[in-house]
Amino acid sequence: MEKFIQFLINGIAIGSIYALMTVGYSLVYSIMNFSNFAHGGVIMLGSYFGFFAITILKAPFWLAALIAMTGTTLLAVVIERLAYDPLRRRQAPSLYYIISAMGISIFLENIVLATLGADFRNYPPLFQTSGFYIGGISIGKLDVLILVVGTISLFGLMWLIEKTKIGLAIRATSFNLRAANLMGVNTEFVIFVVFGLGGLLAGLAGVMYGLRYTVWPQMGLITNKAFVAAVFGGLGSLPGAIVGAISLGIIEAMATGYISSNLRDLIAFVLLVTILVVRPSGIMGKATEDKA
Amino acid sequence: MSWAYITTVLIMTGINLLAVIGLSVLTGFTGLFSFGHAGFMAIGAYTSAILTVWLGVPYYLALLIAGLAAGLISLVIGRLTLKLKGDYFIIATLGFGESIRLLFNWFDPIGGSRGFRIPSEIHYTSLSDVIIINLIALILIANLINSRHGRNFKAIREEEMASQVIGINIFRYKMLSFFISAVLVGIAGGMLAHLTHFLIPRNFDMTKSTFLTIMVILGGLGSLSGSVIGTVVLTFIPEFLRNFNEWRYVIFGFLVVLVMVLRPKGLMGGYEISDLLRWVKRRLVRRRGEKNESA
Amino acid sequence: MSLLELRDVTKQFGGLVAVGDVSLTVEQGSIHGLIGPNGAGKTTLFNLITGIYGLSGGTILFEREPIDGLAPFRIAQKGITRTFQNIRLFKDLSVYDNVLTACHMNTKYSVVEALFRLPARNQGEKKLKQETEILLDIMNLTDRRDVSAGNLPYGFQRRLEIARAVALKPTLLLLDEPAAGMNPDETFELLEMIKQVKREFGLTVLIIEHHMDLIMNLCDRIMVLNFGRVLAEGSPIEIQNDPAVVQAYLGEGGNHDARY
Repeated sequence: MEKFIQFLINGIAIGSIYALMTVGYSLVYSIMNFSNFAHGGVIMLGSYFGFFAITILKAPFWLAALIAMTGTTLLAVVIERLAYDPLRRRQAPSLYYIISAMGISIFLENIVLATLGADFRNYPPLFQTSGFYIGGISIGKLDVLILVVGTISLFGLMWLIEKTKIGLAIRATSFNLRAANLMGVNTEFVIFVVFGLGGLLAGLAGVMYGLRYTVWPQMGLITNKAFVAAVFGGLGSLPGAIVGAISLGIIEAMATGYISSNLRDLIAFVLLVTILVVRPSGIMGKATEDKA
Repeated sequence: MSWAYITTVLIMTGINLLAVIGLSVLTGFTGLFSFGHAGFMAIGAYTSAILTVWLGVPYYLALLIAGLAAGLISLVIGRLTLKLKGDYFIIATLGFGESIRLLFNWFDPIGGSRGFRIPSEIHYTSLSDVIIINLIALILIANLINSRHGRNFKAIREEEMASQVIGINIFRYKMLSFFISAVLVGIAGGMLAHLTHFLIPRNFDMTKSTFLTIMVILGGLGSLSGSVIGTVVLTFIPEFLRNFNEWRYVIFGFLVVLVMVLRPKGLMGGYEISDLLRWVKRRLVRRRGEKNESA
Repeated sequence: MSLLELRDVTKQFGGLVAVGDVSLTVEQGSIHGLIGPNGAGKTTLFNLITGIYGLSGGTILFEREPIDGLAPFRIAQKGITRTFQNIRLFKDLSVYDNVLTACHMNTKYSVVEALFRLPARNQGEKKLKQETEILLDIMNLTDRRDVSAGNLPYGFQRRLEIARAVALKPTLLLLDEPAAGMNPDETFELLEMIKQVKREFGLTVLIIEHHMDLIMNLCDRIMVLNFGRVLAEGSPIEIQNDPAVVQAYLGEGGNHDARY
């Protein structure tokens, strides 16, 4: 039982990092209806920004996170301007966006490879692995930090979407971009904000992932986990993305703990495929019917 | 630069070409994007290697079985995923592709993540193998595209609902397209296995699937000649820019975005070389006609 | 003889009744009109007949056999096809290829025969090409055969969509607002074309249209839908004099619509 709770807590911690990645992806999907495969590259760069802030600038955690988040927010917005905006002007089909996103992802990954090399880099141990003991369960300080920061950010995001004016505009746009535009919503600005928010959380996720694991150029591939989580919760649904991500984290932690860490990724993908086959709209997604 | 090196690059180009021809049936002609075809390549590679190494099956027969094995798996995966729409299908192919790779990674009897070596006495894929197989594939696929079946692929790419109301069984044709692409990619995997003589699951990840798709796109969706040109340009030429090494992939990624932004239909824009020749001929004939009139 | 029979056909979306208890009999060889205000459920009815939507209630018989629950392509193969209100052509394909593609059911050669260019394939292709050329001729599209469908002028796109539908050699053709966006000349031309196609191919036609001249001129019988229910059914004369129809179309005040 103690083991179970231990795995559960680990799972929720990693799940909240996944959640930070997934919401950025899911927000873009809900507005623009395409899978932003460039999101992984942004997260990876966020992780590098944080790494260099800590190692070279000797920045404390909060400053490193701030630097990374500034960098990724800018990056996400610039990517939107250069790679997606021209497509939107032409009203290109969503496949072109996906391909463009793939191009960006290859570009980012390889520019890091070409300049920094393929090495895995470890963050300096800012937080001791030893932490709190409750009964027989140990919780690392890092995990506590991840849980706290993750929860605050996600609640902040939910508050923004549900309670503010820009949140209302985002919700309207995700319901129907063209109609929102006609109703006087500045959809250009909404898209800008959505990419910015995605980038912001991507930076945070990158730093925390780097702290807990390591940094390397291909780490963008872990965003595949974000797709899994998003599909699990239902593409384009924000609460779905969070629930999906945390569930995925828990399932992975359980798989690692009880079965084998080699099978962790396999289980994630098998889960993805099963959900797609059995219930493609996810636990909280919206089903759509074609119109003639 | 030695002749042996150039030959290897040419063989590599040919192997990519076969995979791209296969994928162009699915992506270029039927309009379905897959991020998981590296999985079929892995199935083809491992199947052929097991056949030649453990069972002593001849090279060409092993390739054929490898293609069919990939095709068989594609029927199962297609049955489960081809009803999904848009991004859901793409993510499902990604999921299946990665699952296949991770299964090979985990399965120890064929080397697992350490890889699988093919002994050197087993046949190496040669330039003539590559040429023969590509020629056959090109002719067969061109024949298929120029038939009622090939036109049904294009109809599905253009308009699914209109395709249904003119009596096209969309699901069946998507299955056919998925199957054909998997078979060709599987055979390409077998040829790759026998070029490098060393197999490692890591080489069949999503990045590989992405590169195959990008070659189809850069060549031009819905053009076989475009796929050929795209592949040659993107495999052959970068090999001679080896000094740039990683930078060539940076350029690659940049190029993809540039093409989407500036010329989304790719190099050939859906036209075949034969269309261009016909156009040039028509031009010349007209020019001559005008001259005769004026004379 | 009745070719198509709808019995108490109902379709609900959520709690909303889009089509309620509609019964209709279309006689073989007739032209049957379907009119009604926007949102009356006309296109939904087409989607139900062609299998794009499933029924919530009732049944649809075609040549006396039930067809509800069949996939759209099966229904097409049985001889029902349609055009769309918002034209759905194969935009990047040429006019010629649009029609040629739709001819696919008129020959039966297999995938293997196609791959190896066996005789059955060559004969089949020859037959399809002849049929396509004849059809383009009838529909006055031969001049533009090499143009991409998406680049055609609007009126020609509508015409091409009809040509593509006729290429299936259907028994029943459903036309969804074929004259939408056409000027009076084009509409008149279209009217003649529909009559000609119907004659030459022995078609039965079910047509949705807002141009009242066209409908009254063309149809043997007309059904009026309002809020998903049948308001009236009868010959054009009967419909024009039906008080319920006049009221639904013109409102209590009797504001005269020029098109009516």
